[in-house]
Amino acid sequence: MAQYIEQPLTLYSRWPKPLAVLVDWLTTTDHKKIGIMYLLYSLLMAIVGGAMAGMIRSQLAVPDNTLLRPELYNEILTLHGTIMIFFVAMPALAGFGNYLVPILIGARDMAFPRLNAFSFWLLVPSGLLMLASLFVEGGAAAAGWTSYTPLASKQYMATPGVDMWIFSLHLAGLSSILGAVNFIVTTLNMRAPGMRLMEMPLFVWAWFVTATLILVAIPVLSGALTMLLTDRLLGTNFFKISEGGDPLLWQHLFWFFGHPEVYIVILPSFGIISHVLAAFAHKRIFGYPGMVIAIAAIGIVGYLVWAHHMFTTGLSTLSLILFSAFSMVIAIPTGVKVWSWLATIWGGTIRFTTPMKFALGFIALFILGGMGGIFLANAAVDFSLHDTYFVVGHFHYVFAGGTVVALLAATYFWFPKMTGRFLSEKLGTWVFWLFFSGVLLSFLVMHFLGILGMPRRVYTYRPEFTSLNQLVTAGYVLQLLAGLLLLFDIFRTLLKPKQDLPPDPWGINEVQKTLDWATSSPPPPYNFERTPTPDQWRYEPKEQAA
Amino acid sequence: MLRKPAWAAFVIGLLMTSGCRFADPESTTTWLFDPATPIAEEVRQNFWYTASLIAPFLILAEALLLYAIFRFRNRAGRKPAAFHENVKLEVFWTLVPAITLVMIAVPSFRLVHKITHVPADTELEVQVFGHQFFWRYEYPEYGITLSDEPLVLPANKKVALTFSSVDVIHSWWVPAFGFKQDANPGRVATRWVQVKPGYYKGQCAELCGALHGVMWIEVVALPEEAFREWVRARKRGEAPSIEELRAMLSGPQVAKQED
Repeated sequence: MAQYIEQPLTLYSRWPKPLAVLVDWLTTTDHKKIGIMYLLYSLLMAIVGGAMAGMIRSQLAVPDNTLLRPELYNEILTLHGTIMIFFVAMPALAGFGNYLVPILIGARDMAFPRLNAFSFWLLVPSGLLMLASLFVEGGAAAAGWTSYTPLASKQYMATPGVDMWIFSLHLAGLSSILGAVNFIVTTLNMRAPGMRLMEMPLFVWAWFVTATLILVAIPVLSGALTMLLTDRLLGTNFFKISEGGDPLLWQHLFWFFGHPEVYIVILPSFGIISHVLAAFAHKRIFGYPGMVIAIAAIGIVGYLVWAHHMFTTGLSTLSLILFSAFSMVIAIPTGVKVWSWLATIWGGTIRFTTPMKFALGFIALFILGGMGGIFLANAAVDFSLHDTYFVVGHFHYVFAGGTVVALLAATYFWFPKMTGRFLSEKLGTWVFWLFFSGVLLSFLVMHFLGILGMPRRVYTYRPEFTSLNQLVTAGYVLQLLAGLLLLFDIFRTLLKPKQDLPPDPWGINEVQKTLDWATSSPPPPYNFERTPTPDQWRYEPKEQAA
Repeated sequence: MLRKPAWAAFVIGLLMTSGCRFADPESTTTWLFDPATPIAEEVRQNFWYTASLIAPFLILAEALLLYAIFRFRNRAGRKPAAFHENVKLEVFWTLVPAITLVMIAVPSFRLVHKITHVPADTELEVQVFGHQFFWRYEYPEYGITLSDEPLVLPANKKVALTFSSVDVIHSWWVPAFGFKQDANPGRVATRWVQVKPGYYKGQCAELCGALHGVMWIEVVALPEEAFREWVRARKRGEAPSIEELRAMLSGPQVAKQED
C-alpha cells in the first residue's frame, strides 16, 4: 500500500517501468499526485524567484552599482514579485490544499479530478511564458508586479514582454479560478457523512474562504489584464488619457484583485499554523469558532480595503478616511488569530520539532509584520511611508516571514505523510535559524530604510543608505543558505529508501483528531480503506438528531 | 538565547539609523527626525502616538510567545492543559484592540484632512510636473520655469503645490515635508507646504521607468529677502547653482555683492 507512488496503475503495467511511472504522473487525476506536482513546481520557481532576489540584493549591495542595467533591474524586480506571488506562494498553497483538503474532510478525491489536473497543467505554459519573456527583444515587463499604466502601455513599454506577462497571468488566473471552483465544491459536497461545516479542520476552512476570494478577485484581474492587452494591441483606450481613459482605473481594478490576493496567500498559511501549533503543543486549537469567524471576517473586510494601496494618488478625503478605517479593522480579526494561537500553546507540552519551530517563528514575525501594517493603514502616516522600503519590509515580513515560513512548517510537518520519510531534524534546525534570522534582519532594516527616505524599486540609492542596504543583503545571504540547505535535504531524503511509518508518525492524533493522521503514510489510492466515521474527528459525541 | 539575532539586528539598526543622522550632515532629512513643515511635525507626532498605542500589544504578544516557549516545554511528567475556549477572554481581546484602533483613527483622520485641504491663504502657487526622468517647476506668478533644477521656495510661507505629469505616473516625495503626492498624467492634485528655511532632498517614489532611481529632488527654502533676490536673478536670466542657493540660505549678501 505504501508503495503505491512507485506502483503505476494497471493501465501501463506492461510498459517499461520508468516510462510507465512518467506517463502515470503526466496523466494523473489523483489529487495527491497533483498536489505534489504543484509543490515541486513551486519549489522550482522558488529557486528562480530567489535567484532574482539575489540579483536585486547584489545590485543594491553598493550604491551606483553597475551590475544590472537600470532596465534589467526593473525587469528582475517585476519578475521577482510576479513569480514569488503567482508561481511560488499560490501553487505551494494550492499543492498543500490539493493534497490535504480531500483527506481532511474524508473524501476520496477532489470533486472534479480532471479539472484539477487541468488547473495544474495550465501553470506550465504560464510559467514558461513568464520566464521566456526575459529573452525576447525589448526584455520582460518592467513596470513592477503591479504594472501601473501608462508605464505599462505600448507607448512607454513597447516590448512584447509585457504582453507575455499578461498572457501568463491570464493562464495562471484561469488555473486559480478553476482550482477555486474545485475547492468550493469539494468542501461543500464531499465531506464524509456526518461532518458538519463547523467540524472541518481550520486548514479546510481557510482554503474554503481563500477559494471564495480567488473566485471573486481573480476575474477582476483577468478583466483588467484584458483591458490592458486590448489597449496595447488593439488600440482601445481604457487607460489612455489623451483619449479619455484613466490610469487610475487600472489601479482600482488591480488592487480590487491585489488586496484580496495578499489574503489569498496568507489565509491558508493561517490554517497550516493552526494545525502545527495545536499538534506540538499537544492541545486542541483554542477558540475554534472564533478562528473560523476571524478567517471569514478577514476574507470579507479584505474586499473593502483595496484603495489603501492608493492613498497618495489624490483620492478624496472621505475615501482616504473610509479605506483607512476599513484597513485598521483588519487588525481585529488578525489579532484574534494571534491571541488564539498564543492561547493554543498556553499550558501545553510543547515539542520543539522543526515544524513547530517554524510555526512559533511565524507568530513572532507575523506580529511584527502586522504592527507595520497598522502604520501603513494609518493614512496620515502612509503619506510618508507609501512606496518606500517600509512597505517592502512590511509585506516581506508577512510574505516571507508569514507565508513562506508557514509553507516551510507545512513541508516539514506533512513530508512524512506524503512521502513516508522524515526530513532531517538536525538540518531543519539550521534551516529554521538561518531563515528566521535572515528574514528578521533583512526586513526589519527595510523598515528603517523607508523611514529614512529610501523609495521602492530603485536600482541605486543615496550614499547615506549604504550600510543599511548591506545589512539587508547580509540577511538575504542567510535566507539563501537556508534555502539551499532545504533543497539539499529534500532531494537527499527523497533518494533514501522509504521508512515504514505509521499513520500518525508524529504521535499527535490522540488530541488532534484530524483525518490526515488517520490513514497510512503515504495514503493509499482514494485515501481511506473505509469511509471515515464521526468518532474519528469528533471530540465529544454529540446527540444524534432524531 | 532565542531572540539574539532579533536584538542584535534591532540594536544595530538603531545604532545605524542614529549613526547616519549624526555622521553625515548631508543625509536625507526626514519627517521623523527633522520635520520641515507643520504637516511633517504632526505626522511625526502621529507616528509616535500610533507607535505608543500599539507597542503594548507588540511587546505583550511577543513576551507571551517567549514566555510560553520557555514555560511550557514538554518535560517529563507534565500533562498538557485541556482548555480550548473562554468566551470572556475572546470578547476581551476583540474589544480592546478595537477601542485602541478608534483611538488611533480619530487624530489620524484629522491629520488626513489637514494634509489634503489646502488653506485659503497660500501666498504662492508652484506647478510641479513629472517628466521621465526629471521634475519641472512652473511659477505662474513670476513666469519662471525650472527644468531639472532645484525647487526654490519662500521659507515659512504657505505655498500651494499642484502635481501633474506629462508622461507616466511619478510621485513627488521630499521626506522632510511629511507627505508624497503622485503626479498623474491628465490629473491635477493640490497639496501645500510651509517649509522651514533649509536644504532638503527627496526623489521620485513611483516606478516611472528605467531611471526612476535617479529622479532626484532638491528643494531650497530661502528666507523672504533671499527668495525675492532669487526671483529677480531668475528674471535677469541667471540660474544660481545649488551651491549659490545654499549660500543664500544665510542671507542675500552673495547676490548683493554684484550690485
